[in-house]
Amino acid sequence: MGQLVVNGLALGSIYALVALGLLMIFNTVQIVNFAQGQLLMLGAFIGISGAVTHELPIATAWAITMAAMALVGIVFMALVYFPLRGRPPFLVILTTIAMGIVLENLALIIWGPLPVSLPSPVRGAPLRFLGVVVSMHQLFTFATLAAILLLQYILLTKTRFGILMQATAQDLHTARLVGIPVSRTIAVAFAFGAMLSGIAGLLVAPIFLAEPTMGGSLGLKGFVVSVIGGFGNLPGAVIGGLFLGLIETFGARYISSNFRDAYAFIVMIGVRVAWPRGLFGENSSAKV
Amino acid sequence: MKISPALAIAALASLAIPLFTPEGYVIQLLNIAILNAIVVLGLNYVTGWTGQINFGQAAFYGLGAYTTAIATKAGLPWIVTPFLSAVMVVLASLILGLPTLRLRTHYLAMTTIGFGEIVRLIIVHWEPVTGGTSGLRAIPGISVFGFGPQGQIQHFYLLMAALAIAVVVAARIRHSTLGRAMIATKDSEIGAEQSGVDTVRTKLFAFMIGAVYAGLAGCLYASSIRFISPDSFSGTQAVLLMTMLIVGGMGSIVGCIVGAVTLTILPEVLRFLGQWYLVLYGLGVIAVIVLAPGGLASVASVARLRWASPR
Repeated sequence: MGQLVVNGLALGSIYALVALGLLMIFNTVQIVNFAQGQLLMLGAFIGISGAVTHELPIATAWAITMAAMALVGIVFMALVYFPLRGRPPFLVILTTIAMGIVLENLALIIWGPLPVSLPSPVRGAPLRFLGVVVSMHQLFTFATLAAILLLQYILLTKTRFGILMQATAQDLHTARLVGIPVSRTIAVAFAFGAMLSGIAGLLVAPIFLAEPTMGGSLGLKGFVVSVIGGFGNLPGAVIGGLFLGLIETFGARYISSNFRDAYAFIVMIGVRVAWPRGLFGENSSAKV
Repeated sequence: MKISPALAIAALASLAIPLFTPEGYVIQLLNIAILNAIVVLGLNYVTGWTGQINFGQAAFYGLGAYTTAIATKAGLPWIVTPFLSAVMVVLASLILGLPTLRLRTHYLAMTTIGFGEIVRLIIVHWEPVTGGTSGLRAIPGISVFGFGPQGQIQHFYLLMAALAIAVVVAARIRHSTLGRAMIATKDSEIGAEQSGVDTVRTKLFAFMIGAVYAGLAGCLYASSIRFISPDSFSGTQAVLLMTMLIVGGMGSIVGCIVGAVTLTILPEVLRFLGQWYLVLYGLGVIAVIVLAPGGLASVASVARLRWASPR
C-alpha cells in the first residue's frame, strides 16, 4: 500500500513535469503543444547519446541535453507556431501534432526502435522505511520537481519576465504596442517549455527505458494533468500530476492494468463535467 | 447545387477505372479510399463547417465496423447492420457530444482523443467478442435477400454509389438552414447566438451527422473488406482523417474526396521511402496549413482564377 503511494507519486512527478512544460507555453501564447511528449522523448535520447553512446559524465549529458532542448524549443516555435499567429488555434494544434509525427519518426530513423536505458544521475542504496522502498532515483525525481516548481513560481510571479509573459498572453498586439519584445518573450517560453520536457525525459528514461514511441502517451498524460488542475495553473499542474500518478498506480493494481491508460481520460472527462475550469481554476485570458 | 463540367467529367472518368485495372490490390486500395472519403465528408460537417475539432471520428468508424462485424458473425441478416451501426454511433456521439461540445478548442481536442483511446482499449481488451489486437476475419459480405456484390469491382461500384449519396446529402445539408447555422457557428459563436442560432444544438447535429457517416462507412468497410483490426481505427487514423480534410480543403466537398483519395494512395506509392515517408508527411501537413490554408481545393480554384483573369 505504502509502496503503491510512493510509486504513484514518482510517476505523478513525471506527469507534473510534462504539465509544467505545457504550462510555460500555454501561459504565454494560449496554445496547447500536442508534441510535448515527443519533445520529452527527444530529451531522453539526446541524454542517451551523450551519456551512453559517447560515455560522457552524466552531469555533462544533462547540461548538453538542456541546452539542446532550449534550442529545439526555439526552432519548434519558428516552424510550428510563428507562421500561424492570429490564425484559429486549432490549426496550431494540428501543426504541433504533425511536428510530433516528424520528431517521432526522425528518432526512429536515428536511434532505431529498440528501447534503451539511461543511467540515473544519482547512485546509492534505496531507503527502506516501514517496509516501503524508495529508490534514490525516485527521491531525485521528487527533488527535481520541487526545485523546478519553486523556480517557475519565482519566474512567473516575481520577475519582470513573468509580467512580460502575462502581458503577451493577454493581448499580443497591445503588448507589442507598449514596447514588450513579444517575439523574444515567446521564444524564451518555448525554449523553457522544451527544456522542462527534456528534463522529464531524462528522468523517465532510467525507470521505463526510452523508445521513440514513448512520447505519445506521456504527452497526453500531461494534458490530462493540465485539464484536471486547470490549464496554466502552477499548483494545479503539480497536484494534478501527483493525483493522476496515484490513480493510475492504484487503478492498475486494484481494478485492471489493461485499462491503465483509460483511467486518465475517464478522470479527465469527469473533472471537465464537474469542474469545467479544472480543480484549481484556469489561468486564461481568452474571452469566452 | 452547381456542378462544374470538369468535376462531372472527373466523376464519370473515375467510374471507368475498373475497365483498365484487374481485380486486386489497386481496386482494394481505391475501395478503402472511397470509404475514407465518406468518413472525411462526415468529419467535414464537424470541423470544416462547424469549426469544432474532432479526433473521435476514427472511433465512430471503428464502432460502425465492429457493430456490423459482430452482428453478422452472430448470424443477423446483413440488411439490419446499417441501422444497428447508425444507432450505435448516434448513441456514442450523444454520450460524447452532450457534455463536451460546450468546451473550448484544446479541451474538445483532448476529450475526443480520450474517447478514441477508450474505444480502442475496449476493442483491444474485449477479446472474446472483438478478437483483440488480431481483429476479426471472414466477416460475412453484403447481402440483401440473397443478392450482394461479388468481387472487388462490384464492390467498387457499390461504394461509389454510397459516396455519391453521401456527397448529395452533404451538398443539400450545406445549403439548408442547418448548414447555414453550422457556418455561422464556425465564423462567430456569439454572432450566431445573436442571430437566433442555437449553437450547441447545431454542433450536436453536426457531430451526430458526422458520426453517422463514419458509422455507415464502417459498416460498409467491415462487410466489403471483410477483415477489421483495431489499427484501422486508432488515434493515428483519427489524425490521418483530420489531415485528409485539411490537405484536401476544409469545408469543400470536392476537397474532402481529393484529400482522402490522395492520402490513401500516397503512402502506397511512396512505400520506398520507408520511415522517411512519415517525416515528409508531417512536414507536408505543416506546409499545407501554413502556405495553403484552404488545402488542395483552394489551390485549384486560385489557379483557375489566375488562368481566367486577363494577364
